[in-house]
Amino acid sequence: MDNIGLKSGDVTLVEILDRVLDKGVIIAGDIVISVADVDLIYLGLKVLLSSVETMEHLRGAPFPSPMQEAT
Amino acid sequence: MKLYLYGIIDSSSMIPEPICGLEASSVYNIPYCDIGAVVSEINQPVQAVSKRLVLEHEAVTEKLMEKFTVLPFRLLTILDGRENVLSMMGDYYGDFRGNLDGLRGKVEFGIKVIWPADKVKSRIIDACGTKNRNAHLLDDSVERRFVREKFEEHKIDRALREKADGYIHAMDVFLGKFAAAKRLETLRTENLLLSAVYLVTKDNQDNFREAFEHIRTARKDFKYLFSGPWPPYHFVTLRRKSQPRRNSGQTAIFDKVILQPTLVEADRT
Repeated sequence: MDNIGLKSGDVTLVEILDRVLDKGVIIAGDIVISVADVDLIYLGLKVLLSSVETMEHLRGAPFPSPMQEAT
Repeated sequence: MKLYLYGIIDSSSMIPEPICGLEASSVYNIPYCDIGAVVSEINQPVQAVSKRLVLEHEAVTEKLMEKFTVLPFRLLTILDGRENVLSMMGDYYGDFRGNLDGLRGKVEFGIKVIWPADKVKSRIIDACGTKNRNAHLLDDSVERRFVREKFEEHKIDRALREKADGYIHAMDVFLGKFAAAKRLETLRTENLLLSAVYLVTKDNQDNFREAFEHIRTARKDFKYLFSGPWPPYHFVTLRRKSQPRRNSGQTAIFDKVILQPTLVEADRT
């Protein structure tokens, strides 16, 4: 892309992240577990990490409170 | 033993060529009926998501894509031992089989189109301004002026969206001819005119690229990001709802995740 100011490698990484963090087969909530000693890190990943796309979806909309059903 | 999952493939045979996975471990296939789960053993805790981790995960998936139909897993899917992998395969077999059949011989391409939204908007505002040049003479009460301004804003936004839809339709008609499926998103941001993924048969890859080049040439004032071929990340759909399991080797923290389904669901949006 012209005039974006990113190296092609960075763009590629962003495109990969957009996929591997947010798409593909997700069986979380079933039998996925974390490696010993990094449970909290993994939990943090599941809950907090998101791709650019997801963040864009959520932007402008308030996060549901823990007691609300996600839509 | 923890197993890192890269994807499901349409083969229960051994992987013909050695593939190096995370932590330089060997990647191998765990067969279940006529499909397989591709894994590698993982011994060290994953401390953080790094560029290297992401690239290694993707490299394995793309290597598999050369030989098999792949259902790529999300990053950091780790299961506790072979038995749990087989159990998961049993639970999801129907879904996996259906997805593999639907995605056989197909790859994903990503297209992002950035347009000069500010210029388009300026032109729309100019056009509206010409029409309404004397509108202020009609009524100058504060309330009416406020309503009129809001209505003008609404008309501008609507006109911008109509323009965007027109451009996207023209592009999609052209690209869609060579695609088996697609996901389009219009104006995720004001400048991001289109964010799209297309599922394309491998036989049609060249035609699809050519179609895109035509579009790029036709609209040089737009900026484009074309990426692929990717494993079909956006086109895997599981019908089976994940359900919490008990007594399956889950860690305590995983139980905490189950107890907070809202958080898990929010992450899947």
